[in-house]
Amino acid sequence: MMTYDILIVGSGGAGLYAALESRMEEELQVGVLTKVYPTRSHTGAAQGGVNAALANLDETDTWQDHWFDTVKGSDYLADQDAVEIMTREAPMVVREMEHWGCPFSRTDEGKIAQRPFGGASKPRACYSADKVGHVMLHTLYEQGIRHGVNFFNEWLALSLLHDGKRCQGVTALNIQTGRVHTIRAKAVILATGGHGRIYWTRTSNALGNTGDGTAMAYRAGLPIKDMEFIQFHPTGLRRTGILVSEGARGEGGYLLNGLGERFMSRYAPEKMELGPRDLVSRSCETEVREGRGGPDGEVFLDLTHLGADRIKERLPQIRELCIEFEGVDPINEPIPIKPTAHYSMGGIHTDLNGQTPIEGIYAAGEAGCVSVHGANRLGGNSLLDILVFGKRTGRHALEFARNNDLVPLGMDQEKADEAMIAAMMAGTSGDSVADIRRAMGELMAEKVGVYRNAKDLESAVDTLAELQERLGRVRVQDKNRAFNTELVSALEMKNMLDLAEVVTVGALARQESRGAHTREDHPERNDQAWLAHTLATRGGDGKPKLEFNPVTITQFEPQARTY
Amino acid sequence: MSETITPDRKSILANIRIQRFTPGQHKSAFYDNFKVSVETGMTVLETLRLIKNTQDSSLTFRAFCRSKICGSCAVRVNGKPVLACSTQLMPILEDFKKESVTIQPLRNMPVLRDLVVDIDPVIEKLSKMHPYLMENRDRIPESLEQESLMSRQELSRFDYITDCILCGSCYSACSAASADPKYAGPLTLAKAYRFSADVRDDFKGERMQAAVDQGLWSCAQCRKCINVCPKDTRPAVSIQRMRKMSIDDGIHDTPGSRRAKAYTEDVAKYGQVNKPMLPVIVNGPKGWAAIEAADNYLRKHGIEPERQVCLLDGQNSAEQIYDKVKEIESKGENKI
Amino acid sequence: MSDKIRYGFYSGCCFQGADARFYEILQDVFAKIDVELELIQDAVCCGSGVIEERSELTSLAVNAKNMAHAEKMGLPLYTPCSTCFNVISNAQKRMRENPALHAQVNEILAEQGLEYKGTCKITHTLWVIAQDVGLEKLKERVTNPLSGLRVASYYGCHTRNPADIQGFESADNPTSLEDILRVLGVQIVEYETQEDCCGYHLAWPNNQLNMQMTANVLEGAHKKDVDLMVTSCPLCFKSMDGSQAKALAQTGKNFQLPVLFLPELVGLACGMSPDEMKLQFHGVPVSLRL
Repeated sequence: MMTYDILIVGSGGAGLYAALESRMEEELQVGVLTKVYPTRSHTGAAQGGVNAALANLDETDTWQDHWFDTVKGSDYLADQDAVEIMTREAPMVVREMEHWGCPFSRTDEGKIAQRPFGGASKPRACYSADKVGHVMLHTLYEQGIRHGVNFFNEWLALSLLHDGKRCQGVTALNIQTGRVHTIRAKAVILATGGHGRIYWTRTSNALGNTGDGTAMAYRAGLPIKDMEFIQFHPTGLRRTGILVSEGARGEGGYLLNGLGERFMSRYAPEKMELGPRDLVSRSCETEVREGRGGPDGEVFLDLTHLGADRIKERLPQIRELCIEFEGVDPINEPIPIKPTAHYSMGGIHTDLNGQTPIEGIYAAGEAGCVSVHGANRLGGNSLLDILVFGKRTGRHALEFARNNDLVPLGMDQEKADEAMIAAMMAGTSGDSVADIRRAMGELMAEKVGVYRNAKDLESAVDTLAELQERLGRVRVQDKNRAFNTELVSALEMKNMLDLAEVVTVGALARQESRGAHTREDHPERNDQAWLAHTLATRGGDGKPKLEFNPVTITQFEPQARTY
Repeated sequence: MSETITPDRKSILANIRIQRFTPGQHKSAFYDNFKVSVETGMTVLETLRLIKNTQDSSLTFRAFCRSKICGSCAVRVNGKPVLACSTQLMPILEDFKKESVTIQPLRNMPVLRDLVVDIDPVIEKLSKMHPYLMENRDRIPESLEQESLMSRQELSRFDYITDCILCGSCYSACSAASADPKYAGPLTLAKAYRFSADVRDDFKGERMQAAVDQGLWSCAQCRKCINVCPKDTRPAVSIQRMRKMSIDDGIHDTPGSRRAKAYTEDVAKYGQVNKPMLPVIVNGPKGWAAIEAADNYLRKHGIEPERQVCLLDGQNSAEQIYDKVKEIESKGENKI
Repeated sequence: MSDKIRYGFYSGCCFQGADARFYEILQDVFAKIDVELELIQDAVCCGSGVIEERSELTSLAVNAKNMAHAEKMGLPLYTPCSTCFNVISNAQKRMRENPALHAQVNEILAEQGLEYKGTCKITHTLWVIAQDVGLEKLKERVTNPLSGLRVASYYGCHTRNPADIQGFESADNPTSLEDILRVLGVQIVEYETQEDCCGYHLAWPNNQLNMQMTANVLEGAHKKDVDLMVTSCPLCFKSMDGSQAKALAQTGKNFQLPVLFLPELVGLACGMSPDEMKLQFHGVPVSLRL
């Protein structure tokens, strides 16, 4: 049986940083298990920047400014002690990335370049052209090779093992062979990213952002937090949900409905297209709901009036993206767009060191929830979160593994997982994973999307239960166990449905509108009743049980969030 | 006045021909044909996913980000390595003037199943290249209280390579990698150059030797890798630059570096290369065999062999150009 | 007779010295299709991409000089060598993308009283025939259609890669060679290795690999039972014909595949004799059922 001191599940920025941090100091055996290859992880898709108050561009910037901006952006739901740690440590981790070779863009003096970002009072997003997540991910992977981190590539973690107090390890499927294995570990760090794929095609996320670690933790009895908060980005491409960045609107692009009207005049007559993300997303959604969308339920981002020269000079990457992914040249015609699920604020409940209530089990990055993003994440803070808390979690896990021994395994989970897979392979229904998945995505986008209300949410809870039942009978038709991607999809589907249920139940419970969570029937923020974190655990009946924890407020009293 | 927007969206019933193979189940690769209604805007990846979801759920391929940044989904479409996610199908059908398109796995790597290849051999070659920054303490402070400074010009020496997503397209297109399994391939050599060209790095010698040992001089400069790279990282250019760097670092004892010296000096002196003598110039005395073979061939056809540079009318030395370039380069004013 | 199409002829190293016969063949064949070549004087070796391994700026400057001469003649620069085409086109592209570099190169040329304006058109054999002469005219001049011949067409790499130095045809699906061959009357056979590189530029630094690569291409064509291979690249021709015996011996293969340089086949189809095309110089004997 394979045994590691520390096993990290997930190879994005949080997982790799944790691996490096726990590997640096002594000869502990550290393994990173990933269902893809490390450099495929979704961290690579982050384009804009990583926030740190380096004050390279504006020398008046301080980490305290960053602290306040983040708390305000979170609609006061973030824990202020956690945000304090993140913003205070930000300059260190960004410099550490730089010392490891990360190719940040440079200022005239040769310092790390910074740019302004939405919701930030000073220009503090450190960037590398439009590829900062990509170069950070590769830098971490490169250093991982240098420091002898062991990689399990194309392994899917299945179950989290613990004895009620202490971590025991995980079971996982080797995708290439199709065999299930138990991997024992003193400490497990779940760094599997977000779960935007519960919206299936209506997301900017990678195909694999299915919340595997979060669902594993939930099934293993750990609490997951603030799951109802999902950030939507207003301009995803019609077919794929891939983001057209805010730059297109910043450059003067119009938002048009199917009738060719500049509809933002109805919702934000002054700011027009440059209103905040959530407002623009809601406006697009309203146009379509009221029958003024395009033929495919889309609206349009029109750049044609800017002219070919300006588009080629100022927005070349956006143009390339539209041509490659949508087959539309924005010089000639408007870009069809839809709001797209972008980021999961919620995740596995952890303390400031990434530790869950079970000793030795940790979570970091988008899979975890410390919480630093509260009800709405600021641009440039997702990469920062994975660096700071990846590092802290790695360090804490290192201390833990150094001072503790393995605990004995209990029940034979490997056998139980093997039986579950065998049941999926032998299912009776003619239903396909693809059908159930599509139904889930459409349901979530329609009823648990940008707009929510009690009636829709209640019906969504019922429909999700039906989908669970359908999934229970589904049959994987591909009978070959080696590299069976249909089986992998079925296992991911199980994870997504569990989380979709928690998201929906949380959204139904939270009778207010805060940050990314908009209730048509409760349009105001309500600090008296709802300045609280939602904690969901799985009840004996398999349904989520909710509890609410107070938000940590140390410095900034909640105010109205206006920009 | 606003006008209703009616997008122009076409659809063609196309035949998608896909290479299939499951080790242990099939003796050799074969092709399946799928009829798909290809719409405007549809990528190769969307097409593969549609087939998997509606026609054959056992069709196996990799995909993850769908947005040209993770490098998972590289396959060959009509022979050319591309990322399935960022390749529109309609223009390919139009380019080839056919209603059929062939999708195959990447070359030069073993097939694990259908369109999935084993990239571990390439990752192993990469790992041997020391593909990471080793801190140059003249440039990188020990403390995290300070950043290291690097000018934009210093960054531009290697920044273009950091776009590489390790998709393997260049490796698939490389004929040298097909012919010599030990050859490191374009992406690995380009990565070696990326770090060696970074002023913050302090590891040049060992990495340089690793590059030479793994085939720095085995690249034929056919430039296919430049053509197929979805991120425009120009691996063949990095290989040329790595070659220059290896010579500058004193690794002269290779046939390749001798060739570079011969070309450069001959063109300076005569405006042409002394081709008849090249085998000996590059390979030393053992090159004589090739020269003798060429001599015999020419004599057989009644031509007297030459040992001199052959010149056409008006061909002269390029010394003036060389001198001027040297002057510019010595002042560091090169605008490359 | 119709008007002649004229080019500034940049010979490269393949059309002089021991290979001078190719220049004669080219002129004779082109005369048949009303093309006239005027030698560019004071031209310098393009450096074959090798000079870059010492100095990129030097490579750009010598090729800017070559183009500046063609500009002065007021003629397009025609080179029959694919590598010369590639290297010179690449120099043009890089200076087009970087005006500061272009200006610097012109400073270098100024001492010789030359200026590279950037207007020079660069072309190669395939485009001269398929585009400038045109398939219609070529068809008129074909007096001896080569019907029945099974031909493996081979572009080689340097007129195709990278795509952004390309001119008028699709880089992924070029058709000029096949278009020309069809007019000559032959049957075109597709084969698996037709996109592979022959490895010519490894001839001296890594001859063994060059031979393996050449053998791989030849074997792919041989498997399809072709009568001959035709290539538009003189360097590929050297690999495929001149090195064939060695390449096949080294890799343990036992066959012979005649290889023709495209102008030779055009000449044959236009009624010229195998002797006029100097086919006796080939390493692999060519005995066509003509």
